[in-house]
Amino acid sequence: MALEQREGSVPVVAHQTGGAVDGEVGVVDNGTVSIEVAHRWVPWLFRIGSVGLVLLIWELYGRAQETTLFFVPFTGVVSALWELAQTAEFWDAYRQTLIPFVWGWLLALVVGIALGLLIGRFRTFEAITKPYVTFLNALPVSTLVPIAVILLGIGYASRILVVFLFGVIEVTLNTAAGVRYVNRDLVEMGESFNATQWRLFRKVILPASTPGIMAGVRIGTGRAVVGMVVVEILLVAVGMGRLILRYRGRFQSAELFAVVLALILFGIVLQVVARRIERRVSRWKYEMERAT
Amino acid sequence: MEVRDGTGDLIEIQNIGRQFNTRDGTFEALKDVNFAVEDKEFFSIIGPSGCGKTTLLKMVAGLIKPSSGSITVDGQPVVGPGNDRAMVFQHFVLLPWADVLTNVGFGLEMRGLSRKESREAAKPFLDRVGLTRFSEHYPHELSGGMQQRVGLARALAVGPDILLMDEPFGALDAQTRQLMQEDLMRLWDGEQKTVIFVTHSMDEAAYLSDRVLVMDTHPGTVREILDVPLPRPRDESVRRTPVFNELTAHMWHELRGMMGDPTAAAPE
Repeated sequence: MALEQREGSVPVVAHQTGGAVDGEVGVVDNGTVSIEVAHRWVPWLFRIGSVGLVLLIWELYGRAQETTLFFVPFTGVVSALWELAQTAEFWDAYRQTLIPFVWGWLLALVVGIALGLLIGRFRTFEAITKPYVTFLNALPVSTLVPIAVILLGIGYASRILVVFLFGVIEVTLNTAAGVRYVNRDLVEMGESFNATQWRLFRKVILPASTPGIMAGVRIGTGRAVVGMVVVEILLVAVGMGRLILRYRGRFQSAELFAVVLALILFGIVLQVVARRIERRVSRWKYEMERAT
Repeated sequence: MEVRDGTGDLIEIQNIGRQFNTRDGTFEALKDVNFAVEDKEFFSIIGPSGCGKTTLLKMVAGLIKPSSGSITVDGQPVVGPGNDRAMVFQHFVLLPWADVLTNVGFGLEMRGLSRKESREAAKPFLDRVGLTRFSEHYPHELSGGMQQRVGLARALAVGPDILLMDEPFGALDAQTRQLMQEDLMRLWDGEQKTVIFVTHSMDEAAYLSDRVLVMDTHPGTVREILDVPLPRPRDESVRRTPVFNELTAHMWHELRGMMGDPTAAAPE
């Protein structure tokens, strides 16, 4: 069977790997690749420039102050963080904060994705869970912190629960939306091949929902980090929260800022990791969008 | 031309009706549809947009249930999708996250083969549509014509007796469309499958089919079934024969009347 030659209107994305697509099918070519590479740097320049500018203003404003009691220049914060990082107490606090976070976060992902899949797939399940989802979504989760502590004490359990509650709702809702908005044509196509419900779910609905699931993971992760800090500052003075409260009480602003910066760095690392996973798992979606 | 005496019927459609409830009451999409398709026949359904031809095809596929009437394939009533039928879709409907070979093997995977087995079994079918070189490309990297070849290979790969094609070339440009028709013709000459082909292109219906069902609209029903007395194997040249032109002119006359064209009602 002959291949049709040159359908110029349809751009074929040239793959860097091996360049298997060649002239015969009418690949639009040369040049586009290098242009794309050039473009990739532009947003980075803006990002770095933007962060640099804010840090500069921070630094200058800090130096203009008469005292470092309230506001500390950026370099002061960095050196305070450096000092803190030499102490066992800091790392101990970091660990105390992170252990319950990791458990609560993983729990939020597992439960959120499972719930979201069920809610998105089954109308009855959606109806049953809707009141609770609406309730959790409407409520500022912080208000549940005291209750969690009363119920579970000030150990790991209550902190795990709070981190979980902060994160789980976004994961659930985004996953459910991802499942619900799966292209109906794809589902019908699967059905036309006489698929069982399970195969249809595993081979069509689940992969088609990954963009929604991953968005949930990314947003839920951010929320879980908020939960981690909130519980420690609001009620249970342990880990990083305790350090924050202590340095605030003693007007050790440089150390206070340093602890906050450490938490921000952790949050950024998590976001970057989540983003990486998202891009990898739903790479097809990005490539498809770029091609159209 | 063999005589259509009804003895070789593979697919029988009897008194099919389909109603929808809308705010303005009941809408009758299909009414008293009766016809039969013979074994190894290339049967086209043509009609104006909204006449229910796709709905009818999906009923044969087992994706939509008729409100009344019955459909049988080889004497067995259709209750859902089956391994004896495979569908080709207007908008290709390929898995965007899977490469071409996985897409071609997808029907087999749905029927229980592993990913590896279905990819292996898919290879000869990919070859048959001339896309072996593209087995590891993704659908968005292919042109529309190539995507539909993948769609066709996917349907052929499950080894169906019946191929159900829903305006398969409707989303392609005119030139690609003509190439695809010729390729399909060649494939069909070799495969000898029963095909139900929904289209709204009169040329396409006349060129490909043994018989063409012209559908009436509001409600959708059978207006007439035309024999296409063109010899096989056919090539491009049949498009210039008087028989071909008469057929397409006749179809146009029929369809035009349904489309509310005022000039069609004028005395001849």
